[in-house]
Amino acid sequence: MGKDGVMEAKSLKNRLQIFLLLLPGIFMFAVFTIYPIGKLLFMSFFQSGYGSSPADAFVGFQSYKMVLSDRTFWVSFENTLLYTLVTVPAQMATGLLAAVLINGLPRFQVGFRVIYYLPVITSWVIVSLVFKYIFNTEGMLNYFLSQVIRATEGNIAWLDSRWGGLTVAMLLGIWKGVGWNMVVFLAALQNVPKALYESASIDGCGAVHKFFYITLPSIKSTTLFALVMLTIGGFNVFTSIKMITDGKPMHQTETVLTWMYYKAFNEGQFSYAAALSFIVAVVLVFLAVLQFRTMKNRDEGD
Amino acid sequence: MPMKRIRYSELLMYFALSLGGLVSVLPMIYMLSTSLKPNGALYEYPPHFFPSKSNITVENYIYIFQQQKFYINFINSLLVSVLTVALAAAISASLAFCIARFRFPGRRMLFGLVIATMIIPGTALIVPQFELATFLHITNKLWGLIPFYVAWVIPFSTFMIKGFIEGIPRDFDEAVYMDGGSVFTVFRAIAVPLSGPAIASVSIFNFLTAWEEYPWALTVINDNAKRTLPIAIAGFFGEHQFTQWGYVFAMSVASLIPVLIIFICFQRYFVKGLQTGGIKG
Amino acid sequence: MKKQAGKKILAFTLSSVIMLTALTACSGQTPENSPSSTDRQGSQAASQNNAPKETVTLNFWHHYSAQSPENETLTKVLIPKFEEENPGYKINATSYEWAKLHDKILVSANAHTLPDVARLDIAWVPEFQKLNILVPVDQEMSDYSQYSGSLLENAMSTAKIGGNYYALALNTNTKILFYNKNALKEAGVPVPKTMEDFAAAAKKLSGKNSGGQQVWGCTEPALAGWNVLPYIWSMGGEITNSDYTKASGYLNGSKTVKAVRMLADLYKNKALTGFNSGDIPMTDGFGTGRYAMLLEGPWKISELKGAYPAFSYGTADVPAGEGGSHSVLGGEDIGMFSSANKEGAWKFMKFMTGEFAQEEMAKCGLIPVNKAALESATVKEASFAPFLDAIQSAKARPPVAKWTEIDNQLTTAVTAIVKDGADAQKTLDSLAPQVDELLK
Repeated sequence: MGKDGVMEAKSLKNRLQIFLLLLPGIFMFAVFTIYPIGKLLFMSFFQSGYGSSPADAFVGFQSYKMVLSDRTFWVSFENTLLYTLVTVPAQMATGLLAAVLINGLPRFQVGFRVIYYLPVITSWVIVSLVFKYIFNTEGMLNYFLSQVIRATEGNIAWLDSRWGGLTVAMLLGIWKGVGWNMVVFLAALQNVPKALYESASIDGCGAVHKFFYITLPSIKSTTLFALVMLTIGGFNVFTSIKMITDGKPMHQTETVLTWMYYKAFNEGQFSYAAALSFIVAVVLVFLAVLQFRTMKNRDEGD
Repeated sequence: MPMKRIRYSELLMYFALSLGGLVSVLPMIYMLSTSLKPNGALYEYPPHFFPSKSNITVENYIYIFQQQKFYINFINSLLVSVLTVALAAAISASLAFCIARFRFPGRRMLFGLVIATMIIPGTALIVPQFELATFLHITNKLWGLIPFYVAWVIPFSTFMIKGFIEGIPRDFDEAVYMDGGSVFTVFRAIAVPLSGPAIASVSIFNFLTAWEEYPWALTVINDNAKRTLPIAIAGFFGEHQFTQWGYVFAMSVASLIPVLIIFICFQRYFVKGLQTGGIKG
Repeated sequence: MKKQAGKKILAFTLSSVIMLTALTACSGQTPENSPSSTDRQGSQAASQNNAPKETVTLNFWHHYSAQSPENETLTKVLIPKFEEENPGYKINATSYEWAKLHDKILVSANAHTLPDVARLDIAWVPEFQKLNILVPVDQEMSDYSQYSGSLLENAMSTAKIGGNYYALALNTNTKILFYNKNALKEAGVPVPKTMEDFAAAAKKLSGKNSGGQQVWGCTEPALAGWNVLPYIWSMGGEITNSDYTKASGYLNGSKTVKAVRMLADLYKNKALTGFNSGDIPMTDGFGTGRYAMLLEGPWKISELKGAYPAFSYGTADVPAGEGGSHSVLGGEDIGMFSSANKEGAWKFMKFMTGEFAQEEMAKCGLIPVNKAALESATVKEASFAPFLDAIQSAKARPPVAKWTEIDNQLTTAVTAIVKDGADAQKTLDSLAPQVDELLK
């Protein structure tokens, strides 16, 4: 017994142990993730009723048709897309810049890391309320802009229009996300072999040259990771919108998930909400696959 | 000459980073300073960034800390977060270990599932999960939040820990098997201790996720006594067209403290855990 | 050795699963977590010897705002008193924001997690009745007819649908004009008596004050029916016919259009604000002198006393227009849901509408509907005399099942007109047939 480790791993006892280790995870997946995904699909094809009419009726693609012909859905979709397109690159660029700078510091690295990470560890509810307070029409920012540095004529009604409300949400998203990107990129930068930089220095390369020819290619998979995670995060934007504008005015600042939530839990239209969620999930899977493919092709091209 | 050039660029770096740091902390400082203003001064004109010396007050904190409600909400949040972290760490470490080390039927599918569920945002499943919670009779129950939080964080945690475990040389495992150890022995003696940094860093993420979670708790929790902090803070807001920002921010500051302590204690694991984790290079 | 280690891990991983099951089992026994089982026991016991053997927890949802004197009275005076008078019952009160309570009830109806008793805005009663979740108390409670006589008939009519009563009236209210005394005096503006005066005063009171601060003549925190109907009705407009079956010709009638145009004109002239996300909340804006006039209910008095004790304001009737002076009738009913412990719920409903509770709540500015409480000294001395007059001429929002939906559409349309400058006639013309559909 026990002469060959590999054999040991294949014994019945060990197979049982592997099974036991997998069991809780598979159980959680099956009950709390896979079942809800199936249920989501089911709900999107059936009309469910409140109280008096509990029986579900098959309605086919009707809910999907309703979603796709709903103007507010498209508004929310545009808003979400815009939010993602703006906040993702902005966070990544700023986070990467901060990481490169911090990585080059001889001291105070930890101090800056903590400061930049502070917004990340503060909950969405809190930072949204803080931003709402700052961006109030008569808030601190407007006072600063119009009265202190006199950059604007009068107060800007940040929260009262579609683009104003989205701007505040996007600024919040970037502000809160930089720290996460900084940490992720910092981890990647510290893995880049120092020898590469040293040999480049000997060749007389400048800092900018080193960044584009050594740093960027070395952190490619981190960039992909961050890109995919942030895109998902962008589509997941919920609490900030809910707290700051709550979709106002006239549902013009809704995102796909706040609109889904409104339809489900304010109007009770669960089938509509399920269809909408499913569409969002499909779009996200598509985007993620696209991102993986693009990055992979580039790798092969190199 | 070269010495001097380096010093200039260093100075520039410190300046740029400090400027960014200021932007990072300014809203937080404003929150803190607002929490120290009397409620009547919150809509003063012109607005002041800091309360005037005569105006500084801790009345908001006294009000918050005098209310039993705050402690209940606080303990609720803490309980849910700690249990979520513990369960998620145990479950994802075992999953990650098996996926990283063994070939078993359905392994590829399981890992595909981990990736796929990472992609679908948790909030998108809120409707069917609400139906599920109703079916299981776990709505309006504090502990009923936990399985959902655990299910949400498992994919990312598993993904990160798996990457880390793959970086541990297999020779270590082999040595244990040679000594007659079993799969459990390897898990306990090799995988868990050596992937400690990864487990620690995902645990911080998981704690944060549970600590600040808003939409799900808002949807399933009804009773005041079962509300978590984010719900309680948001509850101050908007009732009767009358927002007590002082209380809101005092409570926010108070709720930030545990997260801050945890983060500062564990921050060194943070970069380390990510470094050799799922996102190599 | 090795085997032991293995067992430890086994125990560790399995414990997560076991813990979940254990937790499930534990909470199943906690009475407040499983109302259905204890309710059944409770009502059985109650029907046998009129007092439950074990404590029955009654869940009560309300929208007395969390930081208000009303809530203090509820939790510190009324509930202890009820529990003392009715041993064996415990009240578990949960406070929600007004709009959230409506949504929570809708969702809980679907999830079968409704409370026993709830305080309901009178505008919601038809909607919830249509969902079949409200208990017709006159049918199911044997002593209903003896009790209902103690409450005002016109208030009780808010709970009457198709000949049955689905709740008890709890309190009434309406809105009157609040104005900043100093601001009006400084501007030399008399308290507006007519809608024309009101619009002129609002414009005159607006602009920058001496401190350089922007000031608005009037404020509305939203543009929903509750907010715009007093202007529409007072200016002679309507939104439906008198039996609530048709909106075309009323909602887009010339007088309704004129009222909405007046609000749009005020907004355009920076004399009206408050419904934008970036605006300062009404109470704070009024108390700090940013908003000079507003229409509000009796609760505003205690709120202002708490937040801005030094602020000096006056009250008056809603300015009259072609249609007279008509405020909007507000108020709440208290009802029980079909899943409730009916015995206990009914006791609590009678307690809340009884003389003691009504008088206590009157001290916080809630207008009683209990006849005996209305005659009491507290009520006679209370500050809501002007509200009692206004209630006489106040009108109710259409008591129709789809009111919430109609209200949402009305809000969207009025917002488009006021905020985005959409044409009032065209917008309401296209809204009217949609509302016609919802009234069917």
